[in-house]
Amino acid sequence: MQRRALLLSTLCAGLALAQDSGVYRDMDLPVEKYEPHVKGDMTLSATYPLWKDRNRLDWRLAGNPEENWKLNWKFMDPPFNNTIHGGHFALDRGERLYKSLNRDGRFAACLGATKGRLKGLRTRYPMYRQDLGQVAGLEAVIEHCASAQGVVLQHGSYDNSAVSLYVARFSQGMPMRIDVSKGPMREAFERGRQLFHTKAGRLNFACSSCHTRNVGQQVRGSAITTPYGDVVHYPVYRTQYQLQSLHLRMIECNLDAGVQPLLPGSQAYTDLEVFLSALSNGYPVSVPAERN
Amino acid sequence: MRPIALGAWALCLALPALAAGLPEDAAVDPAAAIKTLSPKVVVNSGRLEWEPYRRDLTAWPTLSHLDRRSTIRPQQAAYSEPLNGDAARGRAIAMDPARGNCIACHTLPGEDWPGSVGLLLLGYKRQGHTNAYVYQQIYDRRVLNPNTVMPPFGAFGVLSDQDIRDLVAYVQSLD
Repeated sequence: MQRRALLLSTLCAGLALAQDSGVYRDMDLPVEKYEPHVKGDMTLSATYPLWKDRNRLDWRLAGNPEENWKLNWKFMDPPFNNTIHGGHFALDRGERLYKSLNRDGRFAACLGATKGRLKGLRTRYPMYRQDLGQVAGLEAVIEHCASAQGVVLQHGSYDNSAVSLYVARFSQGMPMRIDVSKGPMREAFERGRQLFHTKAGRLNFACSSCHTRNVGQQVRGSAITTPYGDVVHYPVYRTQYQLQSLHLRMIECNLDAGVQPLLPGSQAYTDLEVFLSALSNGYPVSVPAERN
Repeated sequence: MRPIALGAWALCLALPALAAGLPEDAAVDPAAAIKTLSPKVVVNSGRLEWEPYRRDLTAWPTLSHLDRRSTIRPQQAAYSEPLNGDAARGRAIAMDPARGNCIACHTLPGEDWPGSVGLLLLGYKRQGHTNAYVYQQIYDRRVLNPNTVMPPFGAFGVLSDQDIRDLVAYVQSLD
């Protein structure tokens, strides 16, 4: 009698594990493999050759509203976009904040810079931080390192993004290179990949419902873009918004798709950040960039 | 024997439900009428401000790993004739971004900037589908295709029974 109850509860536990504790979600299938490198776009939108080199973008495509999506909006990054915009003011602000936080070199060391040099640092984020015991993006670490000095730089705030932009500027033209082949980064990438295909919210959309299954199709007036090569221009100056970090962009994506958003720095957004950053491996950082 | 076994099963079914609330990392103001928050970036500030979003989205599952609430499973619609739908009202719902917003994905006559993700609905009437089929399609398309990208408007409570009847009348009038 008791054995049978035990057997049932064991079965039940097994079932729960198999279905992630019994929480039901619709998945957008198949959950694609995705290559942790920007050239993986060749099996998705295949527009990569058109935006591979930002110095050689076809201005005729950039000027054509029906075709410009094929450039993955890289014509709004420097050097094609050489206008002065809000991102430049943010960069100045970031420089002032950074220098005041780094008078004794503590801030740079906390961010993970070797010998105080910021060069290439942006291309290695997100990374696993032994001291934090978790995978963290650059903005999360900026918040952490500022708070160690008693300065509030909340993830997603203008000043946090301004410092992030300033740090990213030192990696201008350098390709992203995060390693998702092992350990906690691999696990985060894998969770991010699953999340990208997990349906949620009022309309039951997954990121991939549009950005994998329908790249190049129109949603109202907008063409759907590829997830490859997309993180390298963040934080970004939005003409309709303000300075926007990647996690704030995810909040906007969630709201637009009818999904209750999460807080910046949440585990799910960090996993998605790792996933999307890996899809930009090999593609150079270029800031300050602008988007509509 | 049976009560214990049933008890074990009941517990096993109830566990996720017991913990089923909004996840801790959701961007919400629990005390507000509209709980869902939208971030507001304030220039030259180290603090992120929040303001109420135009719609409360807390009733549906989030992407949080802490969210233990299940998604509503595919649902067969309980449709009965007569249709009693109003095509003009249906058209208004299809064009309204806050309601059906069909035009975002589907091409419909007489409207600029249609979407191209969904099926072209021009001349839909000529496809000769039954009202019951079209109703199910809008109510919860997952019953017909488990891997659809179309939202389950009826099953998720986004549109009412009458809204869907109006939409069926509208698309069934497109020739």
